[in-house]
Amino acid sequence: MSDLRADKVSVAFAGLKALSDVDLSVASGQIVGLIGPNGAGKTTLVNVLTGFQAATEGAVRLDGQPLSGLKPHEVRRRGIARTFQGGRLFRDLAVIDNLEVTGVGLGQSRAAALAEAEAMLDWVGIAPLADRIAGTLPYTDERRVAIGRALMGRPKFLLLDEPAAGMSAAEAQDLSALIRRIAGEMGCGVLLIEHNVGLVLGLCDHIVVLDSGATIETGPPAAIRASEKVRHAYMGTAAETDLPVLEAGLEVEA
Amino acid sequence: MARRPSTASVARRTIVTPVLLSVLLVIFALAAWAAGSRPFNQTVIDIFLQVIFVVGLYTFIGNSGVISFGHVAFACLGGYVAAWTTIKPMMKSSAMPGLPDWLMQMEIPFWAAAIAGAGFAAFWALVFGAVLMRLSGIAASIATFAMLAMVNSIYSNWDSVTAATSSVVGIPIVRTVWPYLVAAVLSVFAAWAFSISRHGLALRAARDEPTAAAASGVDIPRVRLVAFVLSGAIMGAGGALYAHSIGLVTPDTFYLGLTFTTLSMLVVGGMGSLSGAVIGVLILSSLIQILRWLEAGVAIGESSFALPGGVQEIALGVVMILILMFRPAGIMGNSEWTGRLPRFAKPGAPGPDNRSQPTGDQT
Repeated sequence: MSDLRADKVSVAFAGLKALSDVDLSVASGQIVGLIGPNGAGKTTLVNVLTGFQAATEGAVRLDGQPLSGLKPHEVRRRGIARTFQGGRLFRDLAVIDNLEVTGVGLGQSRAAALAEAEAMLDWVGIAPLADRIAGTLPYTDERRVAIGRALMGRPKFLLLDEPAAGMSAAEAQDLSALIRRIAGEMGCGVLLIEHNVGLVLGLCDHIVVLDSGATIETGPPAAIRASEKVRHAYMGTAAETDLPVLEAGLEVEA
Repeated sequence: MARRPSTASVARRTIVTPVLLSVLLVIFALAAWAAGSRPFNQTVIDIFLQVIFVVGLYTFIGNSGVISFGHVAFACLGGYVAAWTTIKPMMKSSAMPGLPDWLMQMEIPFWAAAIAGAGFAAFWALVFGAVLMRLSGIAASIATFAMLAMVNSIYSNWDSVTAATSSVVGIPIVRTVWPYLVAAVLSVFAAWAFSISRHGLALRAARDEPTAAAASGVDIPRVRLVAFVLSGAIMGAGGALYAHSIGLVTPDTFYLGLTFTTLSMLVVGGMGSLSGAVIGVLILSSLIQILRWLEAGVAIGESSFALPGGVQEIALGVVMILILMFRPAGIMGNSEWTGRLPRFAKPGAPGPDNRSQPTGDQT
């Protein structure tokens, strides 16, 4: 059993607090949801957990060991993988090469990486796409490739940043099933950031709700569903007509 | 689409590219040998040297996407190694009296000097690269240029070891094309082997999406450094052979002129493609040669026809502009020459935008 924990993490961009005192923990095999309106600081938290953003205060710990100061590739080599909004595939490379990059990045030989990549494509269910150039794939396939790429080398934790954005209901269902298998069959701890609240409520064991960089609610799906604070946060932000502060926060995040 | 047959297939699927390019180079060498004319022989030697330099540049720039203005510094290091190790000790002691005794007495064959030049350049690439490879984009380009300026400045002033700006003469001249052909073919294969290696794959991924590459465990400065050292070695060997092709070196032989010719050949051929590197050199060098002949005058029956002097530079500029207008990513773009013609109608990669075309790993 492993556990990944953020302890009282705060991040400030030029005086603007993107995160303040956020706690979060994910254990092996667990699916934790991270939701909140736009600009709530969800991606910033993922960036902190994966070494792309230093915390101004607080610490990230993997099995009790602090990860502070590690570079993104070092965090990945310790078994914390992530995906990005919009995929960020290596567009000029074939799908199989996209997966191989993680294998060689983790120190495998090219032959070993290729063998694992083939098995992984099978596991994720996109083996027929192996030789397609990643830049030519439709959106939903891109997401699966990104997940397959992140799963190379069997990470302990997988952080998914809006994997269902732009998917139809049926496609989101397939994605849910895949995420369940990642947690169940691989024993990987999953942190799911998603705007599709229905998907998160249906899938997660535990949910953390952020608003304006602060945790406003945590608990199992039933508690989140019943929470007045969560409802208020979502209703209050009706689309992007939010407080100017939040929009500024969003820009910094991007 | 069928699954790939086996894991050792990357090399087998892509080896056709360096083989075809080598065949092309052999054809040039045979033409020089068959023609038996000395100026033409020298032209082909120059072409092979340019191939070595541009392939050296490609190894770093093509795979990393970082434009280096400094690689010619490594050719300079290699060129002077040839001078230090192959000139007769008597001549050395008058031109470069500050050389240490063991180096003063050394007289090795040209091919050993080329290997030594490669090793010396690779060492300095490791030293410079350890710092430079942390930079990206324009900062990295400027820093590589600063490295070139530093090397040039040291070699132009260290009187007792490099004879400062005066020409160091007496380097044994090698006039036959074959050693240059062998070196060009070796550099093509070295560049190919790197691009299909695990470091090459990781580096190309980092070129396209650095953030995602880092999140995939790729240590970007380190993979860049591997490419920098290998390309430095190729440039160093090229510099040593260049010295043997003309018999002398000066610091300015390896400065801005060579930097810009080699970079423009790479850009015209296609920065992301080994085939582009080689074909860019062959096309531009051939063009320069034809224009030179036309400027010198061609006899047609009784009368003779000659272009006015200076047309060479203008025509070359126009051709480069036209190529880059119609194929902004260079003649080959990011794709490799595999002997199959219909590269432009690839399913799933519509449109003339060759930047979205595959790199050498497919087909």
